[in-house]
Amino acid sequence: MTDKPEMTEAFSHPAAKAAIGTEGGVTGWKGELLHIHIAPKASFEMEELEEATCVAGRGIEGDRYFLGTGTYSARPDVREITLIELEALDALARNDPPLQDGPIELLPIDHRRNLTVRGVPLNHLVGRRFRVGEVILRGGRLNFPCKYLETLLDSPVYLPLYNRSGLNCGIEKGGVIRPGDEIEMLD
Amino acid sequence: MSARLVMKLRVAEVTKLTPEITGFRFVHPRRPRLPEWTAGAHVDVHLPDGAVRQYSLCGDPGDRSSYRIAVKREDGGRGGSAWLHAHAAADMEIPVSAPRNHFHIETREGRHVLIAGGIGVTPLLALARVFARENRDFAFHYCIRHPHKAAFVDELRELCGDRLTLWVSDEGAMLDPLALMDAERGAQLVVCGPAPLTDAIEAAADQVGWPLEAYHTERFTALSDAGFEPESFQAVIASTGTELDVPADRSLLSVLAENGIELDSSCEIGVCGSCECGYLKGDVIHRDVVLGPKAQRTRLMPCVSRAAGKVVLDL
Repeated sequence: MTDKPEMTEAFSHPAAKAAIGTEGGVTGWKGELLHIHIAPKASFEMEELEEATCVAGRGIEGDRYFLGTGTYSARPDVREITLIELEALDALARNDPPLQDGPIELLPIDHRRNLTVRGVPLNHLVGRRFRVGEVILRGGRLNFPCKYLETLLDSPVYLPLYNRSGLNCGIEKGGVIRPGDEIEMLD
Repeated sequence: MSARLVMKLRVAEVTKLTPEITGFRFVHPRRPRLPEWTAGAHVDVHLPDGAVRQYSLCGDPGDRSSYRIAVKREDGGRGGSAWLHAHAAADMEIPVSAPRNHFHIETREGRHVLIAGGIGVTPLLALARVFARENRDFAFHYCIRHPHKAAFVDELRELCGDRLTLWVSDEGAMLDPLALMDAERGAQLVVCGPAPLTDAIEAAADQVGWPLEAYHTERFTALSDAGFEPESFQAVIASTGTELDVPADRSLLSVLAENGIELDSSCEIGVCGSCECGYLKGDVIHRDVVLGPKAQRTRLMPCVSRAAGKVVLDL
C-alpha cells in the first residue's frame, strides 16, 4: 500500500484563502445528501454506502484517498471528501448546454465524487464552512474534471462537467453521515 | 497509458472444461451491459493477495452481458490460476478490469489463418466467433496434445466446421509451419500458444520471409532472455527536461514512480501492456511481448524495457 497522500488543509488552499476574504455566496438554502460512494482503490468502481464515517483531516473510512490508494498527483491537495450536485448530473442528462452529441447519463455511482447532493450551491462554497448532518466540511477548491474519468467511463464527460464538477473539501469535524442528512451553511 | 475501470464482477458460472482448464463467466451485479471489447482482448483479474493476472476473453464480443475466460491450472505458475481453480465459485465477486486489446485483428481484410496451441485458444476462439458470424475467409489450426485435454474442441467444430484442423500430438499429428506457410501465402497469420509453438512458427516465418505486417502473435509469458545483462541508462522527461538515471538493477517504471511519475502498472513482466509509454528519441531495448515492430518505434514498456545511452520519454 502506498503512503497516505499529503493533504492540504482546505482553508490553506490558495483558492479558499482568496475566497474567505471575499463577500458573496448564496445564503438561506438547505440541501440534502442523496448518495455516499467510496472506491477502495484508484480505478475501482465506486461502492454505495448506507452510512459513512468521516474522519477529520483524513477522509471517508474505506475510501481510496483515506487509504492512500487513490490516483493523485505528487502535489498535496484538498481531497478528503468530494461533492457533486445532482443538478449538474441532471443538466448532462438533458444535454444542457449541448456540448456533446447527446444526453449523457452520469449516474451517482459513476462520477467518482463521494457525495451526491441536491439543493447545495457547491460553486459558492469555496472558503465556506457547511454542515452535512453532524459532520462539518470546509470548501477548499472547485473540483475540475480529469481526462482520466473519460477513459474510465468511456464517455465524453470532460467538457460537459467543466465548472460544475463539484467541490473538494476538508473535514473539520468528523462523524457519521447518511443519505437524507441535511446540508446547510454555517457561516 | 490508459486507465481502465475495475469492476467487482459476479461469477455467474464455473465450468470444468478439462481436468486442467476451468471456464468462468462473469456478470456485472448492477449493469446489464459490460464495457465493449473486440476479439483478442484480455481482462485483468485482481486476486485477493493483490496480484493481477491477465486472461483473454473467449466469449462472443457481440454479447455484452457477460465476460468469459478459461483458465488453465498452472501449478508451477505464479499462483493466480491455482487460486481461481481452488476458490472462485458461483456468486463470488471478483475485481475484473475493463478489457484491453493488443491484438487488433478483426478489422483486417482478406484470409486469416488462426493457429492456437493449448490454452492459447482463448483469444482466437473469440476471433473465430466473429469471423464465422461475418462469413469471413479463415482457417483454424488447433494444436493439442489430446482431444480430452483440450478446451473448446466441440465448440470450435460447431463454429468452424471444415475450416477447423485439429493437430493432435498424442496421435502423431503435428502442424508443419513451413508447409502451412507455403499453402497460405498472402494470408494474415494469427498465432497464440505456448512458446515452443510460437517459436517454431516464428522461425519458419523468418525462413520464408513472411511479411511482418501479416504476422500477429500474442504471448502469455515474459520474454525468456535469461542471458540479458541490464545496463544503466538515462531517461529524459520531454515536458520538463528532467534527466533521470536508471541504474542497471532498477526498472525504468520504478525510477519514474520514485520521481513522481506514476504510470499505471500491473504485471511488471512485460506482458500486460498497462505501463505503455511513448518515447521521442533513443535506442530502446524492447523486452516486452506486447508491442509489435511498428509500435516499438514510438512506444515502450518501462517495466522491462531499457535503453542504450539516453531515451527521451514523451511524458
